[in-house]
Amino acid sequence: MTKKADLSISFCGVKFENPFCLSSSPVGNHFEMCSRAYDAGWGGIVYKTLGLEKSFKVVMPSPRLSVYNYGDKRFVGLQNAEQITDRPIKDNISDIALLKKNYPDKVLISSIMGYVDEDWGELAKMSEDAGADLLELNFSCPQMAHKSAGHRVGQDFHAVAAFTEVVKKSSKLPVIAKMTPNITDMIPVALAAKEGGVDAISAINTIKAITDIDINNFTPLPNIHGHSAATGFSGPSVKPVAMRFVSDLCNSKELNLPVSAIGGIETWIDALHFLLLGATNLQVTTGVLRYGYRIVEDMIEGMSDFMIERNITSLNEIIGKAAEKIVDPSEFTTRYQVVSVIDEEKCIGCGQCYISCRDGANQAIKFDSETRKASVDKERCVGCLLCKHVCPVWDCVSYKEVDTETTRHAAIF
Amino acid sequence: MKKNINPSKIKQFKPMHEALSLQDAIKEANRCLLCYDAPCSVGCPAGTDPAKFIRQIKFYNFKGAARTIRNNNILGGVCAHICPVEKLCEQKCSIQALENPINISGLQRFAAEYGEKFGIELLEKSAGKESKIAIIGAGPAGMACASELAKKGYQVTILEKEDAAGGVLRWNIPEFRLPKEALERDFKNLLDLGVKIKYNAKFDSEDAIQKLLIDSYRAVFIGTGLSEAFRLDLFKGFSNATDYISFLRTVKINKGYEALVNKNVAIIGGGSVAIDSAVSAKACGAKKVYLISLEHLDELPADKEEIELARKLNIIFKSGSQLTDVVSDMGQIVQIKGKEIEWIEPGEFIPENAMQIKGTEFSLNIDFVVQAIGTKPGKEIRRFAGSLKTFGKGIIAVNENFETNIPGIFAGGDISNGGSTVVQAVADGKKAAENIDIYLDRDARPCVSTVRP
Repeated sequence: MTKKADLSISFCGVKFENPFCLSSSPVGNHFEMCSRAYDAGWGGIVYKTLGLEKSFKVVMPSPRLSVYNYGDKRFVGLQNAEQITDRPIKDNISDIALLKKNYPDKVLISSIMGYVDEDWGELAKMSEDAGADLLELNFSCPQMAHKSAGHRVGQDFHAVAAFTEVVKKSSKLPVIAKMTPNITDMIPVALAAKEGGVDAISAINTIKAITDIDINNFTPLPNIHGHSAATGFSGPSVKPVAMRFVSDLCNSKELNLPVSAIGGIETWIDALHFLLLGATNLQVTTGVLRYGYRIVEDMIEGMSDFMIERNITSLNEIIGKAAEKIVDPSEFTTRYQVVSVIDEEKCIGCGQCYISCRDGANQAIKFDSETRKASVDKERCVGCLLCKHVCPVWDCVSYKEVDTETTRHAAIF
Repeated sequence: MKKNINPSKIKQFKPMHEALSLQDAIKEANRCLLCYDAPCSVGCPAGTDPAKFIRQIKFYNFKGAARTIRNNNILGGVCAHICPVEKLCEQKCSIQALENPINISGLQRFAAEYGEKFGIELLEKSAGKESKIAIIGAGPAGMACASELAKKGYQVTILEKEDAAGGVLRWNIPEFRLPKEALERDFKNLLDLGVKIKYNAKFDSEDAIQKLLIDSYRAVFIGTGLSEAFRLDLFKGFSNATDYISFLRTVKINKGYEALVNKNVAIIGGGSVAIDSAVSAKACGAKKVYLISLEHLDELPADKEEIELARKLNIIFKSGSQLTDVVSDMGQIVQIKGKEIEWIEPGEFIPENAMQIKGTEFSLNIDFVVQAIGTKPGKEIRRFAGSLKTFGKGIIAVNENFETNIPGIFAGGDISNGGSTVVQAVADGKKAAENIDIYLDRDARPCVSTVRP
């Protein structure tokens, strides 16, 4: 019998059997899909954002997806022009109720988006009555066809505070505000939400982006009958940006709210990264679009094995462990300096380090054309480690500390 | 990307390798490490520069890749099909320390075909050098030499004994290895350079080549190749024994060989042409095909991929074996006998070094024999060589500049290197062209007076 670690977490006072949730998107579109996701092992689902058709009738554009490819790697990022749900509110509400009836121990978060105060209040109340455990306020969809919804709200501090207040008055459920990254600094918006009374923040929603342009007809993709738009970008490409925003949120003493992290999570290591930055809950869509609900099995098993190997009994022991190490660059020490060390045994003689150092660093790599081995000129090496990152052998290039008294660590020209 | 061989194509006399799709080519090019001073490029005798065209494919510069190949190697499209890459560029590929070498031949074919399909400008002749040069033989060496000289502006005429160009490429390399279209494409590039070709060219006097110099040309390049196969005395006089040159030619022209259907065939030899003959025999419908070679399995000069193919087709390897006798009936071979051997001195794979092992006698019922044991210069060249210095089986002696003993007469490819690969012939032709250019540049001396007896 495989040993299993306890992956449960508490988020806004709600217990999750594991922190892995589906984020609000087509992956949590209706009862049948959500049932299968729960069966696959997801700890929670943020149901696809509800809206009221009486205020705004959603019709999806088509085609509405485009991918960012790198070399032969496809789907490094995904662009979508998806809207919130286009199903009638009564169908969604009855699905939520049935899900909670069938899966009482799983968490269901109702994502809502209104256009006026009354919508927000009504949706919150309906969700609570249907049995949702939490509410997530969608202040961040970057491509809503409605002019005063989505990320336009998320960029307006006053609207965020006001709508949050309405929701808090209409429902007793804990409330999460979902942030847009399409803003320079997320903290002021998060603080506005806090002012309105939210209990947690989720981030990031998708990044406005253009992934591709058809060079035959000069039309950006997705080509929606001759037009396109900068719309929500997600997937592995956005993870570094997501980590930055999550780190900002978690490290803000003024904000001091729990964070549900979203952005490029596919593996338990991605998940762990966000936990280490301080997130206590995790959400995934693009990974599921690409590979299906099953990926949660590997997240659960991988995270569990990691915890057992490291003798970690609760995720709380590691949450935020990397956060304190994120400082302002002005705080770096410059007394610590390194130079690259190339393992000659492992060097396969491709010379990529030589080319990169020659054309992109400080011409500190020597390449022996006879032996086809690279070596480091310690006098010239500035310790940037470009060589390490371009080397195709993962453990060929390492580095060591050097005496800063005797080594010049400025570029020699 | 594995090189998939499709044996069913062989039986249809169609190319056995599937072409890489655009996506496959991009994927494969993205595996390349883009080495500094890339060993693959160093490993190409003809200077095709695979490192450069792979980089160009990786960065979506597909036409650039096609230009690189064509500018560096007039037979770049052909070489993509037939080069023994596992012994040349791919053998040097750095990534082998981590994974399979890059499928360089596949990428080369992709780029060459892309250039053809989407069109790249014609090769350009430069102006200035207008001397006339004669090339004897429109095979790989002659074509390579002609293209280099034409690019420099020379007026080049190829004299070809057959009624079509290509030499071994056209007549002897089986269709499953080299599709006609590849040769036609490369040959067209040569013609685009303004190279003229005279077919059915005959030389009937001993000093025919010297005469070329006197009559109209400033320099002559001999690239006739080796057109006559060795045959064993053992099989002399039997009508059901032939050599690989005539066998492969017949198969190629007829897309089959009627006399082989359901018959047992013995191929004598262990090189690439022996395997080509064995595979062709299978393709023609032979029942059992034996490949009898002095070399043991791990000593066969043929490429691994070729041997693998032969195994897939159930060709029976009688490796490390020597023929001892033939049983005949009414002037036809009906059985061959042989013994296994071991080498007296290790590493020297010649008949004189073989010792037959007692008790290993075998006999095979055979209906047809193909001898693939080497080639020598053809009768014509032996006749018109005149005062050209030769050695061994009639190989033309050249110095490091590919000059023969007669000033103005150069030679390259199999006729002077004794028999090697197509890509080596291309390399010879290119280098000879450089030297012909230097020779003609040296001074404007009149050609007649330079001819020494």
